[in-house]
Amino acid sequence: MDLKPIYKNVIEGQADAVESGVKAALAAGVDAGVILNEALIAAMDEVGNRFEDGDFFVPEMLIAARAMQAGLALLKPHLTAIDVQAAGKIAIGTVKGDLHDIGKNLVAMMLEGAGFEIVDLGVDVTPEAFVKAVQEGANLIGMSALLTTTMSNMSATIEALKAAGLREQVKVMVGGAPVTEEFARSIGADAFAPDASSATRVARQLVA
Amino acid sequence: MVLQSNYTSMDTPHFRKLSEDQVERLHHASLEILDRTGVRLFEPEALELLKKKGIQVEDGNRVRIPPGLVEWALSVAPKRTVLCDRHGNRVMPLERHNVFYGPGSDCPNVIDVRSGERRRGTLQDIVDAMTVCDALPNIDFLMSFCIASDLAQETSDRHQMRAMLMNSTKPILFVTTEFEGCVDVIKMAEAVAGGAEQLRRNPICACYINVTHPMRHNQEALQKLLFLSGKGLPTTYTPVVLRGATGPVTAAGAIALANAGELAGLVLAQLNREGAPIILTGGVNDMMDMKTTVDAYADPTNRVMLVELAHRYDLPIFGLTGCSDSKVPDEQAAAEAAFSIMLETMAGAQMAHDVGYLEGGMCNSIEQIVICDELINYTKHFMRGLEINDETLALDLIEEIGPDGNYLSTEHTLKHYKQDWYPKLFDRRNYDDWKARGEKTLRQRAQEKALKILETHKPEPLPADIQKQLDEIAG
Repeated sequence: MDLKPIYKNVIEGQADAVESGVKAALAAGVDAGVILNEALIAAMDEVGNRFEDGDFFVPEMLIAARAMQAGLALLKPHLTAIDVQAAGKIAIGTVKGDLHDIGKNLVAMMLEGAGFEIVDLGVDVTPEAFVKAVQEGANLIGMSALLTTTMSNMSATIEALKAAGLREQVKVMVGGAPVTEEFARSIGADAFAPDASSATRVARQLVA
Repeated sequence: MVLQSNYTSMDTPHFRKLSEDQVERLHHASLEILDRTGVRLFEPEALELLKKKGIQVEDGNRVRIPPGLVEWALSVAPKRTVLCDRHGNRVMPLERHNVFYGPGSDCPNVIDVRSGERRRGTLQDIVDAMTVCDALPNIDFLMSFCIASDLAQETSDRHQMRAMLMNSTKPILFVTTEFEGCVDVIKMAEAVAGGAEQLRRNPICACYINVTHPMRHNQEALQKLLFLSGKGLPTTYTPVVLRGATGPVTAAGAIALANAGELAGLVLAQLNREGAPIILTGGVNDMMDMKTTVDAYADPTNRVMLVELAHRYDLPIFGLTGCSDSKVPDEQAAAEAAFSIMLETMAGAQMAHDVGYLEGGMCNSIEQIVICDELINYTKHFMRGLEINDETLALDLIEEIGPDGNYLSTEHTLKHYKQDWYPKLFDRRNYDDWKARGEKTLRQRAQEKALKILETHKPEPLPADIQKQLDEIAG
C-alpha cells in the first residue's frame, strides 16, 4: 500500500485525512512501525527541513505536528516497544517565579512534533519539581525564563539536581529572551537554544 | 454582523499636506505667471500654434498665455492614461491616487553591484539594472538607470531603450538627449508593440521630457512634445526649478512657477492634438543647498505638494520617490528613501520614479533599488486598511481560549497569519541566529539578492526578428 498520501497529509496538516489514511493502512495489514517511520516521522522530518529553509512558518509546523499526533494515537495500540523509540523524554517548564509560558509551549509543541515525549511541568516550576521529573524518567530538562530576575532559578535547579545525585543522568537545556549562550555555560547547563526551531535541533544533539 | 448605521471604514490612510484653498491659490498664481510674465518658446512650430489662437509673439519668442486657454487645455486633456507591458497588458492605469514605482534614469555614475566601487556607468550596468528591475515585484516600470559612458553619446539613448526593451517586459519611461533620438526610440517601441496604431492604443512607453526652465522652453523639449502629442503618445513635460537659483527660494513661488511651465506645455500639446495624454510632474522644486550649492533632491520641502496640485487637475502624475542625497547605500540613503516612498505613496504620486537614486541623481545603485523594493513592500502593507468583522475581531475565539490557553495552533491563526507582513530583506532573527548567518547588514543582504537575481533571472527574450529591427534602428 502506498503510504505517500499519509506522508503528504501530515505535511499539509490534514489531521482527518491522516487518521483515515492510517486506519486504511492498518486494515490493509501494513506494519504499524512501517507506517510510523515511513509516513509520520519521515513527514515531520520534511516539515522540519521546510521550517529551517524558511518555507514553513510556525502555524504550519504546529498544524503538521497535530496531524502527526492524530495518526500516532491510532498507531499506539499496534506498536511494539521496538517500534517506539521516542527521541527522548523531556520535562519542560518555566522556572520558579516566572509565569511566562508562550515560548515554553512553543518549544514543547515543536519537540513533540519531532518525536519527543513531553512532560509539561507548566509555569512557576520549583527546582524540586524538575528533580522529581528526572526521578520519574526524564532524560532531558528544558527550562525557560523571560525575566532577568528569574533566570537565577535555572542554576538553583541544576544545583538541586546535583544535590539529588541526578546531574549525570540528565541533560539540561535552557532558553528564553534574556538567556545567552554565555549564561548557560556559567550555570553549568548542557545547551542553550535561542529559539524554538533551534531547540529541536539542540535537543536531538543532546540525546543522540 | 449586527446591522449598524452611519458606519464608515477607511480602505487606506488619508493624507493631505495642502488645503483646497492653498491648492487653488497655487493654481491661480500659475495662471497669473503665464498671463502676466509669460514664457519663451524656442521652437517656431510651438509659436505658430499660439499665433493661430490670436496670441501675440513679442521679442521674437515670448508669449503670454491667457487663463481661458489654460482652463480649456485642462478641460480637454485626458484624466487618465494607461501604460502597458510588452504584451499590451494594461498594467499601469495612471489615474486618481494609483501609485506605481520605477527607478530613475541617466545617472553618470553607478555603485558597482559586485565591487561596491563608484565609477562611470556602462551599457552592462543598464542591462543588469533592467534584469533586476524585471525580477523585483515592487518595481512596476523602467527607466534607464545610468548613462552608458562606453558608447558614443550621440546615439547611446537608442541603446538604453534597446536594453530596457530586451531585458524586461515592464512599461518604460524613456529619455533621449536630442529630438532625433526620440523619433528613433518611438520606432523601436512601435516595432515591439506591433505598429504605430498598436502603440498609440496600448502604449508600452512614455517619454520623460526635461525642460530647461518653466519660462525657457528649449527647442528639443518642444519638438519632442509636439512630435509625441501629435501621435497621441503619452509624455511627461517637466520644467525644473532650483529654488533660490532659477526660481524663488520660497516653495510656494517655486511650485507656482514650475506648474506654470507645465501648464504652458499642456496648452501646446492640446492645441497640437486635442486629447493628447500629458503626465504632469509631481515635484521639480528642489532647493539649492546654500551651504554647498548642491541640488538637494531628497529634501523634505520637495515632497508631495506638486502631486497634490496635479490631483487638483485630476491628470496623470509623474512622481518622485525613493531617492537620496547620500553617496552610498547607507543609513542616510535608506532613511531618505523610506521617507519619500511613504510620503509620496500616501500623496498618490502615480508614476513614482527615481527609486534607488543616490547623490541627488549623480549616482545610481542596484543595491539601493533592491532596498527600496523592500521599503515599497513595507509601505504597501501599511497602506492597507484595517478589516473589522466577526472573523477578525475573533471574540468567540478569545472566549474559547480564555486566560490560560494560547493561539498558536488554532485554525484561526493558521488561516490569518499570512495577512501580516513578512519582510524579504529586513532581518528579524534573534541576535544569535543573525550572528550565525554571518552578521550581514541590510546593504550586504541587498547585494546578495541582486547578485542572485543576476545569476538566476532570465528575462523573457524578444523575438529574434524584433531584436533585429531594434539593432538596425539603434545602429
